[in-house]
Amino acid sequence: MSRICIDLHNHSCLSPCGSDHLLPAILAVEAADCGIDILALTDHNSCRNLPAFAEACEIVGITGVFGLEVTTLEEIHVLTLFEKLEDALAFGSWIESILPKVPNAARLFGNQLICDVSGTVIGESELFLYGPAEITFDDLIYKTIGAGGLGIPAHIDRPANSVTANLGFLPDLPYSAVESIAIPPIVDTRLYPVTQGSDAHYIEHIGRRRCFIESEVTGFSALRDAFVHSKITYLGHSSEHF
Amino acid sequence: MKNIEELSKELGYSVFSMEEAGAIILDGYTSDLLSDVMGNASEDCALITIQAHKNTVAVASLIGIRAIILCNGRTPASDMVEAAAREKIALLGTEENQFTVSFRLAQALGKV
Repeated sequence: MSRICIDLHNHSCLSPCGSDHLLPAILAVEAADCGIDILALTDHNSCRNLPAFAEACEIVGITGVFGLEVTTLEEIHVLTLFEKLEDALAFGSWIESILPKVPNAARLFGNQLICDVSGTVIGESELFLYGPAEITFDDLIYKTIGAGGLGIPAHIDRPANSVTANLGFLPDLPYSAVESIAIPPIVDTRLYPVTQGSDAHYIEHIGRRRCFIESEVTGFSALRDAFVHSKITYLGHSSEHF
Repeated sequence: MKNIEELSKELGYSVFSMEEAGAIILDGYTSDLLSDVMGNASEDCALITIQAHKNTVAVASLIGIRAIILCNGRTPASDMVEAAAREKIALLGTEENQFTVSFRLAQALGKV
């Protein structure tokens, strides 16, 4: 049984609200330095920096998880995470195809930079990536699970863009886990496994929140295993159900 | 026609930011979904909402909304106040809910 440090919520310079300096490779290098073993990149509604992130994770020797933070029709943020880069790319392309056809106003919302592993900017996403995608919260959870991914409502204790704030309750759905900023959570998590992630938007945010899982297996399978058995612990807190 | 300063005084709302007190408000739009605001609000209106974060200012600026009225006693984060000042969008607040603010603003603008 090994103790694995995970951080499943991070942005890069592709997210309009993410710093232009937060390159996918910098995320991977800094997170590895923080001792994170399994790291996800979850830009808003786009997967275009995942190839660079995948390469960077391989170079630094950590397990990359390939994801997006999808905005649903109800403007709820959900982490959708995949083991394989190609599955995430396919899912991400579909999400982009159902975003409003609104161009980004970079001055107001921020740049949306696509870069390679060395940090060279190779493009910019012209579509405004903040969403919402044309899919309901319930449907997104089912689609994600159906596509072999993990579906995790993000920051459920936040007053904006969270399932708790926008719906008023946590519907009974097959979430892989739920993400809370505060531990112990300040909202009812209804016995779903709870993760804590950095939600890094700036380099200095990398590794600011993380949690630990215990599993006999390694890699992405360890996430599934730990969530099913609720084997999650937190900095300064013992293992417990919330 | 009334400007933001006249309206804020008449309605008794608190002011978090008001860089252009003389800006004229022609209409109101009430919504808590920013995507709906982006799609349907018109310029020179006041946005009535509970979304007290800086993305609201970005959306308002994109559309040309001149004022944001935060309801139910919601207080803006400091980065929202800074963004509102930078974009010259008035940021007001009240304990009243969206229904009451909508009615009172419509009345003040002579729409009902």
